[in-house]
Amino acid sequence: MTTAADTERRTERTMEKVFEIYIRTTPERLWEAITDTEMRSKYTFGTRIHTEWTPGARVEVGHPRTDGPLSEGEILEVDPPRRLVQTMRALWSDDVKAEGFSRITWEIQAISVDSCRLTVIHDQLREGANDELYGGWPMILSGLKTLLETGELLTTPGSLMYDS
Amino acid sequence: MPAMKDDDDRVFKALADPTRRFLLDRLFRRDGRTLTELESELEMTRFGVMKHLRVLEGAGLVVTRKSGREKLHFLNPVPIRLIHDRWIDKYTERRVSALVDLKTELEEGSA
Repeated sequence: MTTAADTERRTERTMEKVFEIYIRTTPERLWEAITDTEMRSKYTFGTRIHTEWTPGARVEVGHPRTDGPLSEGEILEVDPPRRLVQTMRALWSDDVKAEGFSRITWEIQAISVDSCRLTVIHDQLREGANDELYGGWPMILSGLKTLLETGELLTTPGSLMYDS
Repeated sequence: MPAMKDDDDRVFKALADPTRRFLLDRLFRRDGRTLTELESELEMTRFGVMKHLRVLEGAGLVVTRKSGREKLHFLNPVPIRLIHDRWIDKYTERRVSALVDLKTELEEGSA
């Protein structure tokens, strides 16, 4: 029998996903690639992020070819070029909308004069949450690495998502 | 670029072992596990599991984070994506374009 307490416990359980990548670049350039709308759109499938990048500021992500925002959230912490924290609520379908807010933390650590480790922690996700919420990170980070190391764009299924 | 080749080598070597693939599958099902939890599902000594986890960490396929006094292990799928973008995409694309070329050639030949 499922009691109300069980249901509550289940909805309260969260999970955390961790994504890590090494990129040959400086923390400053990496920070710029994450917070500059133009650069960011190149490896986030053409989406455009709008925010003031200050704690408490609203975040809205859209795409020129879709109606309305794809996600929304709030900036929680800004510590350039080291740490950026924001909340995110996906809006691209009713399914993901129902998942509510999760949290995304970007951590940049210089590991040599010309290399950084970038860690993206996506947490406060519901246990068993829709994997559309976090499944795109490997593609995004791979594209970010390619952009910073070669200046080129990486063609991925994601980058073609809104093209046709 | 030799550095990149070393990274790929480590990923391929880490994946070339059934125990390590089993550990990755366990983490895929549920992330953020302690060594004790992972060890309980394998017929292997704690030391053996630690050794495998170290290889996975060295390849970047497993990332650890401290949570209080516990060390939690997370699956990091990014290196697999990098290999995919570097290798798999290239060859599947070529195969598709080879088929397209063949089709064009056959159709033109029959015309």
